[in-house]
Amino acid sequence: MNQPNHDLIASDIDAYLNQHENKSLLRFITCGSVDDGKSTLIGRLLYESKVLFEDQLDAVASDSKKWGTQGKAMDFALLVDGLAAEREQGITIDVAYRFFATDHRKFIVADTPGHEQYTRNMVTGASTCDAAVILCDARQGVLTQTRRHSYLLSLLGIRNVVLAVNKMDLMKYDESVYEDIVEDYQAFAKEIGLNNVTAIPMSALAGDNILVRSDQMPWYHGPTLLSYLETAEVNDEHRKTAPFRMPVQWVNRPNLNFRGFAGTVASGSIKPGDTIRVQPSGKTSSIARIVTHDGDLAEAIPGQSITLTLNDEIDVSRGDVISTTDEPASTADQFETTLVWMHDEPMHSGRPYWLKIGTKTVSATITQIKHEVNVNTLEHTAAKQLELNAIGVCNISTDQPIAFDAFADNQETGSFILIDRVSNHTVGAGMLHFALRRSANIHMQATDVNKERRAELKGQKPAVVWFTGLSGAGKSTVANLVEKKLAAAGHHTYLLDGDNVRHGLNKDLGFTDADRVENIRRIGEVAGLMVDAGMIVLTAFISPFRSERALARSIVGEDEFIEVYVETPLAVAEERDPKGLYKKARRGELKNFTGIDSPYEAPENAEILVDTGTLSAEQAAERVVAEMRKRGLLES
Amino acid sequence: MNTSSTTIKDLNARRIDAVKRRLAGESLAKISQSVDLSVPTVVAAIKAFEKNGWGGVPVKKRGRPTRGKALSTAQIDSLRLHWMEQSIVADKALSEANLLTIDRLHNWLCGQELTVSAATTQRYARNWGLAPASPAQRLGSKPGGEVKRYIDQARHNKRRLVWVSAHTLQLNNEPVTLLCAHTARGLCLSVLVQQLHSHTLSEFLSAVTTHLGTALAPVMQLSPALEKSWILPWQTSTGLKALILPPGMESNTLERTLKSTASTMTALKDIKDNDSNLLLAPERLTHLQRLEAESIHIMREVVAEAENPVMMYSVGKDSAVMLHLAVKAFYPAPPPFPLLHVDTTWKFKAMYEFRDSIAKELGFELLVHQNEEGIRQGVSPFTHGSELHTDIMKTQALKQALDKYGFDVAFGGARRDEEKSRAKERVFSFRTSAHRWEPKSQRPELWNLYNAKKRQGESIRVFPISNWTELDIWQYIHQQSIPIVPLYFSGERPVVERDGQLIMVDDDRMPLRDGETPEMKRVRFRTLGCYPLTGAVESNATTLTDIIQEMLLATTSERQGRLIDHDTSASMEKKKQEGYF
Repeated sequence: MNQPNHDLIASDIDAYLNQHENKSLLRFITCGSVDDGKSTLIGRLLYESKVLFEDQLDAVASDSKKWGTQGKAMDFALLVDGLAAEREQGITIDVAYRFFATDHRKFIVADTPGHEQYTRNMVTGASTCDAAVILCDARQGVLTQTRRHSYLLSLLGIRNVVLAVNKMDLMKYDESVYEDIVEDYQAFAKEIGLNNVTAIPMSALAGDNILVRSDQMPWYHGPTLLSYLETAEVNDEHRKTAPFRMPVQWVNRPNLNFRGFAGTVASGSIKPGDTIRVQPSGKTSSIARIVTHDGDLAEAIPGQSITLTLNDEIDVSRGDVISTTDEPASTADQFETTLVWMHDEPMHSGRPYWLKIGTKTVSATITQIKHEVNVNTLEHTAAKQLELNAIGVCNISTDQPIAFDAFADNQETGSFILIDRVSNHTVGAGMLHFALRRSANIHMQATDVNKERRAELKGQKPAVVWFTGLSGAGKSTVANLVEKKLAAAGHHTYLLDGDNVRHGLNKDLGFTDADRVENIRRIGEVAGLMVDAGMIVLTAFISPFRSERALARSIVGEDEFIEVYVETPLAVAEERDPKGLYKKARRGELKNFTGIDSPYEAPENAEILVDTGTLSAEQAAERVVAEMRKRGLLES
Repeated sequence: MNTSSTTIKDLNARRIDAVKRRLAGESLAKISQSVDLSVPTVVAAIKAFEKNGWGGVPVKKRGRPTRGKALSTAQIDSLRLHWMEQSIVADKALSEANLLTIDRLHNWLCGQELTVSAATTQRYARNWGLAPASPAQRLGSKPGGEVKRYIDQARHNKRRLVWVSAHTLQLNNEPVTLLCAHTARGLCLSVLVQQLHSHTLSEFLSAVTTHLGTALAPVMQLSPALEKSWILPWQTSTGLKALILPPGMESNTLERTLKSTASTMTALKDIKDNDSNLLLAPERLTHLQRLEAESIHIMREVVAEAENPVMMYSVGKDSAVMLHLAVKAFYPAPPPFPLLHVDTTWKFKAMYEFRDSIAKELGFELLVHQNEEGIRQGVSPFTHGSELHTDIMKTQALKQALDKYGFDVAFGGARRDEEKSRAKERVFSFRTSAHRWEPKSQRPELWNLYNAKKRQGESIRVFPISNWTELDIWQYIHQQSIPIVPLYFSGERPVVERDGQLIMVDDDRMPLRDGETPEMKRVRFRTLGCYPLTGAVESNATTLTDIIQEMLLATTSERQGRLIDHDTSASMEKKKQEGYF
């Protein structure tokens, strides 16, 4: 490798090594429209920084004759196009990584394609970058693809952006051409929130303003491309000021005396003695040591791979996030996100995917596509599904709470990928905006006395017996009998009755669909708390919607939830009409009455089905208690 | 070739000479010898001539003009003499002011109206024998219980461990003694004395204590120069104790001793912010630190998600770096996977020896797999050609081994800068159950979120050093003192010239062609593989810095020495699709 420091290398290799073993590292991406000259630019950078060997140059020279698009001249693009197929097609079809170095920095370049169908590759390439160079052909000006790539860069939060106005040689190095393009672009950049754009006029083919200032453009006074890249701020340095986060990768337990939590510092810094919170569990402790093979550290900074030991024996496992106690991450299980779809098979809301955030993988469902963003016009359109390369704002729900930050605040803890559960392909990339509802600022407080302990004190297995059915089906009657039997057997129970709850906790709610959903959500949460307290809870609510019953089931937990469908034909219930409600509804005095003008979605897989049309209330209660016994919830 | 004294002008004269000789019909080897350039350089010069005529042959002067003039050997020798004469302690008591530190040498050199960097100063000190390597590097195999207790106690009491040694140097043809104290962090404090007295050692330790500002815990090995009785005055006056090691302990480093001890010291919870043993945070991470951290992150992800991972070990320098990173990633636990060497049976003898010793030293389980069927068929690079040999003994053998042990993830040491098709491969490279790589259905890889999900029978190749370049690898080896196979260093080896490459005759399985007689030449290898397929380069590079220097000044790329890449255009991509690493 021919570094520019030939003489220093020859005369004092130690001095050279000392200087070059302490460089910084910048990753950047080049993007832009087809034929804007991306590959030529990278080839030029490699050539200028002397990383090419004679045999490589020979190979390019011979390839240029065979495939080159520059006539007899060396086609630098051939240095960076790799796969045989694409070389023959003359296009780049994937992300290619290239490496070069100057005296101050080592660079990793991601070269990405300009074609629309490969947007996912550009997102892939940009996700790890500190900076981006958007190429723009001076003859063409700002094109649709230039805009699209700029939008993607803003979406991915790239902080250092260069607008490289290339091929100035073909426009006679005319300042007004450059000024027009920059003005056009800056207006657009502002619109999409790209505030830190540096424009540079250049010719990659001729080498103007790449490494050295061009004689052809004396009117330009800004930095050359390389001098900009040599000084741009690296993300890790920026993340230093953010609150401390470290997703735990692996628990290191070589012997009984050592229990360390290995991970890479995502942001912030940490010292021995700092107090930390493990999320989402919420347990706290303090740092005992920061272990590395080189020796213990006095402080760890972003990007370092370390192993932490704590002063307390608390439960920490892979996927947990270690944060400082003063500025912990948020925890939630429902989010608004921006999603980039990356697979041929479109995204369907309602389908479960694996979601990997940090080092944690959970099951997740897209609950709602709020809108799709047209990457060319930035218009918002309604969408039922996201196709390959589509970008949408979606709500996502996970099967368990996860620790996170908004992507805008912290890219490391605010980004995730979606994985198809069948094909195992990475199908989506996402950026978290915020948690839905108010759960964002609430942290789980870990308690020492837990559910098992409380249940043990009561000598029973906590559970929810969820009665659902039409009004007048006999839910409250049967539930009441079941509770009497359980209490007689010495169990600690509580009966949540629909009407009673609506007199207190839920008296602000009416009977619209939205209020019914909220009603049941609250009951589900209360039942969940009581189960956590070790109780056997009986609920008697119409609870007409399947999805809300499923929600209640997920709050409580599959094993502790028994759904009892008290089945009665509508005619029978209406005949009974113990509270006179059906009559009122029929007269139109009562709106949204289930069975009359509001639907009832019967359970498909209830644990217990009792038909009060054929069974007496007593028999129905017996049946429920027998089923509980059978499921091991009661001692037989 | 002696690169350090090659000027561009001289180099170009030799390149032109080489081309003339070639036109006159001389053999490459002969030319190489006559003009003192390596064969690849000669080939490059000839190619350049064929392409661009005589104007293409000279290489351009590279880089910026040099900052200053290097000193001649005589000038440097005279500096050494002056420095030693004026700093030696004769018959008076020695004190802190007598300690030879790099700072003091640097100041003194600058006082001689020389512009030298701190690094150059360090090099002078080393070359002059004033900064010898720490004797800790010669410390014994497993530190005994006594050593461990001593180090534990020293740490606990916040005493600084120093490694004390004595060396004999020549000054005006008289032997003089250099007393050294090395700290665990690599600081070397020394003093030059005309003669050792019973009080010298005690005075020296007091001077070091003053300089470091902390109480000492000296460790030393018994030698006639460091008599045990001489340490007693110091022990009595300070109330501290020194550790005297028995002679004959070898080959482990103090660093390693300290580390293995540190791992068992978790009970000590008294580490405070100001503990001088803690490493301070850097202002920012260097490129090597970022690359290291990224590789470690990748390895940990694999171990956390894979069922049965394995690390491919090829014995080369990239493998050496990978091994070192694996030790770091899981420290203090041993790396939780075995090493797999797919052995074509045609590797260099030195590679086999190195492989076995390093695996043992680092505590890795080593699995070796050979393609039995290939051996039975007598497949060799000579009879079957490099392409078929590589396919059967390497590609097929690798698939056999992965199937045999049921490994679901295999680490490989490939780098993206090696070859164009590798530049586009992911870090987690998914393979079908038939071990094929499908470049068009690669999974996108975002942020540092790696997708390690796979179905039964499918596997993933993981390349933790994807983003390292050849120079990064060498710099890291240099910085971290990572052991590598001696074949990388120059030595007298029997070689024959064949098809423009120098091939080492490593054993008698190599059939010699008519007119081929092995010649002893000073050669080394820039890349290692099967010996019949690996070209040597003529070189005098015997140290790591020599190698790096030579590499930086070289004009041909690394894989040029590997015959397999020359087979067909885009050959690597084809091999990889078929399952070659």
